[in-house]
Amino acid sequence: MANNPMQQFTVNKIGPEIKIAGIDLSFTNASLFMLISASLILLLLFFGSKEKKIIPNKIQLIAELFYTFVAKMISDTAGSKAKPYFPFIFSLFMFVLFCNMVGMLPYSFTVTSHIIVTLIMALFIFIAVTIIGFLKHGFKYLSIFVPSGVPAILLPLITVIEIISYLSRPVSLSVRLFANMMAGHTMLKVFGGFVVSLGILGGWLPLSFSVALTGLEILVAFLQAYVFAILTCIYLNDALNLHH
Amino acid sequence: MTIPDDFKTRLKIAKSKIKKDIDSDKEKRGSFMGNAFKLGTELVAAVAVGTIIGFILDNWFGTKPWLIIIFFFLGAAAGMLNVIRAANKMQKD
Repeated sequence: MANNPMQQFTVNKIGPEIKIAGIDLSFTNASLFMLISASLILLLLFFGSKEKKIIPNKIQLIAELFYTFVAKMISDTAGSKAKPYFPFIFSLFMFVLFCNMVGMLPYSFTVTSHIIVTLIMALFIFIAVTIIGFLKHGFKYLSIFVPSGVPAILLPLITVIEIISYLSRPVSLSVRLFANMMAGHTMLKVFGGFVVSLGILGGWLPLSFSVALTGLEILVAFLQAYVFAILTCIYLNDALNLHH
Repeated sequence: MTIPDDFKTRLKIAKSKIKKDIDSDKEKRGSFMGNAFKLGTELVAAVAVGTIIGFILDNWFGTKPWLIIIFFFLGAAAGMLNVIRAANKMQKD
């Protein structure tokens, strides 16, 4: 392990290099940890729904907890119209959560600490929500850029501001998740480095910080997955129920 | 079989207690911290997007540096609008 706290974010190829039509599709440690997170989710949900008991065992309880948590979040923020989108938001939430949590294990790789991963997810949500809005409301969907009760002189200015605000959604969504994960992991590594360099005499203080930060990071990992999912619900709500 | 009266009232009390718990839970739960994290990026992202749009349009029309300045301020306005909206939503909840 190198001393550089940014070392943990490097993407390494695993196995042979695969190139298809000039695009590098090699299997990397990022793909490996995405695969691990996805299979952990599948395993949890498979074993959680295998024995459908009235009094659930532990694993079924966890799976049901996740289910009700997401279902409640969707019905609270986006209403009953968003029910058909439950599978999408559930998989999104679970994937982000598990990527964050798997990243908390020592020697692992945090997929969500790379902006390309979070940006792709955010852009997908953004484009999907825009398409849903246009499908549901036709060109009336453009009225979200024109708030009611604005004087005619200000209207062009406000419309431009609204469009910028709308376009900033995927940026804020992706940067929030990526920045939180990267900053937290860098900080953990920096404090870990202090423990080593201060030795057995002075290393106890940064070590205690490190322990506290690990707790905080686990909270952040959960919270960021929650925020990511709830903002998706809010954007979906804007597209489904047009009211401005 | 009829349900005795005192059981009915006890059931009522218990049910209302559960409802109260759920309601107070909703207010407290998580969203407080989530909102705190939300506001900062909301403000910065709109400024960044505005500046990028200005930069692209400047390159397009060859009007350097005027559009980037204008869109920087429009982006800042959009960021403030985002924050005000988020804060309003927080107060309503």
